[in-house]
Amino acid sequence: MGVGRRDPAPAGRALTDAAVTAPTARPGRRRLGSAVSAYGAFLPAVLLLGGFFLVPLGIIVVYSFWQVIDYNVVHHWTLDNYRYFFSVGAYVTTMWKTLLVSLVATAIALGLAFPFAYWLSRYVPRRLRVPLLILVVVPFWTSYLLRVYSWLTILGEKGVINRFLQWLGITHHPLGVFLYDRPAVILVLVYLYFPFAALTLYSSIERFDWDQLRAAMDLGATPLRAIRRILVPQIRPGIVTAVIFVFIPILGEYLTPQIVGGTGGVMIGNLVVNFFQAAEYTRGAAVSLLIAAFILLLLVVFRRSLSAPEAYGG
Amino acid sequence: MAADVGVLSRRGRAARACLGVYAVVIYVFLFAPIALLVLFSFNANRYGTFPITGWTLKWYRSAVDNYQIRDALRTTLKIAGEVTLVSVVVGTAAAFPLVRSRLRFRDGIRIGFVLPIMIPGLLIGVSLLVLFTGPLHVQLSPQTAVIGQSVYTTPFVILLVSARLQNFDRSLERAAADLGANTFQRLLRIVFPLILPAILAGALLAFTLSIDEFVITYFLIGTQISLPIYIYTQIKFGITPEVNALASMLLGASLLVLALAFALPQTMRASRRAVRFGLARRTARAGA
Repeated sequence: MGVGRRDPAPAGRALTDAAVTAPTARPGRRRLGSAVSAYGAFLPAVLLLGGFFLVPLGIIVVYSFWQVIDYNVVHHWTLDNYRYFFSVGAYVTTMWKTLLVSLVATAIALGLAFPFAYWLSRYVPRRLRVPLLILVVVPFWTSYLLRVYSWLTILGEKGVINRFLQWLGITHHPLGVFLYDRPAVILVLVYLYFPFAALTLYSSIERFDWDQLRAAMDLGATPLRAIRRILVPQIRPGIVTAVIFVFIPILGEYLTPQIVGGTGGVMIGNLVVNFFQAAEYTRGAAVSLLIAAFILLLLVVFRRSLSAPEAYGG
Repeated sequence: MAADVGVLSRRGRAARACLGVYAVVIYVFLFAPIALLVLFSFNANRYGTFPITGWTLKWYRSAVDNYQIRDALRTTLKIAGEVTLVSVVVGTAAAFPLVRSRLRFRDGIRIGFVLPIMIPGLLIGVSLLVLFTGPLHVQLSPQTAVIGQSVYTTPFVILLVSARLQNFDRSLERAAADLGANTFQRLLRIVFPLILPAILAGALLAFTLSIDEFVITYFLIGTQISLPIYIYTQIKFGITPEVNALASMLLGASLLVLALAFALPQTMRASRRAVRFGLARRTARAGA
């Protein structure tokens, strides 16, 4: 391939005995050299991700146990930030409702994606599958904010749905029920994250051999049992990846609830932003850490199905 | 499976029809909001909604003339360029030892490197805000936004390039070494051309992620305005169809880039084939 393309003659002429033996001549020095170059190649990434990802997260952890007094962060070790968060009923409710919204939106997105992935892998001719899959991802090439905004023009009081209902004569006054509450947030989140769910589910459903399911049922398994015992275990990696790529980002969402959610749709991400904008850094840090804790919990639960080598193509 | 399609039972045909309809509904769900966005960009109605009061291009004209949009676009492209450069260089360099050397804690390092993808941008944004304004005392600027975005885009490049390196046939390199190529030559003439597609894909991904990034940028950019931040303020303080026009133009541009990204490897392959064909003919003639 890459070699054949070049005219082999010059390289052949340059061939000498020394060159042939060189790579194996001094194994000790070579190993040292490769270790040095390996760590050297790591260095930029370690500096970038260590210095600007891990260190800041560490600072957030420390901050969450400190205090802000007169807009200054004071190094007083305390649990006050967490105590404060759990003492305000509205915050705790928001936390539970955020988990609920994330759960429901993830379930709907996966539920919608499954039949779609099934259709794509079973009923679509092979050469059309990739183009149709790419079509699912095309919305990503539009601004995230504008996709959310577009739902404002669909669900709003002067929006498409209200216009349509009035045109049909079903209502005469615009209905405000579609927007600025939790259902709107869930709808838009499902819209935003459906492509992730479809892509990840498809990649594992496509590899599943449906004859196995038929065989299980021929051998007397009920459809439900066959699905549970044969299908689910085999596509579990896809399901886990889908859950992670949908649930975790939704947990940290704050724009969608801010734009379409109104006061009823507030999520925990909005609390973080509010604290930081009010310069209450330590309280904001504590809430951020709560989000991180939920994510960590999820990753620990799913750690078996998440093998790093697979993500790296190995 | 292809054989299945021909000999479906009646129930199978019904299932196929139902699922086909379902898939159409899904695509409508995915594209209706975007189609409406584009539709309203041509609508004379000032409120960016139905009814259509007339067709116009005035929103496009005012979007192009808007100096705020032009400024924001310039800032966004500058940030995206720098983010792409940083993440491609850092990510490609890190991918090599990750795949090839037997380092201690390699799995730990691997997980550490993809962690920024798993953590919501909000946490990256606020934690860097704390770092920059607290311990480091750095003035927030587009440069701090570049750092923040690179934290999030570099792991994608690492993943793409390592996947390519993993499937790399190392005997090619050994063959080149046997033929006398030194490390640098092997890297430049064997390894680099073979992983170039992954690097380009990584660059494209980093660029597109950067252009649309809001959350991290919002916390770190300081007083400057990027395109997503401009759109955000418009949504918050009353939007005009000018933003719809902007959205349509952005969509058009990104579809163009996407089409180029798909066309480019094919044209490159075609031209390479043409070159090789020419070379073969020349050597054949020389031989004769």
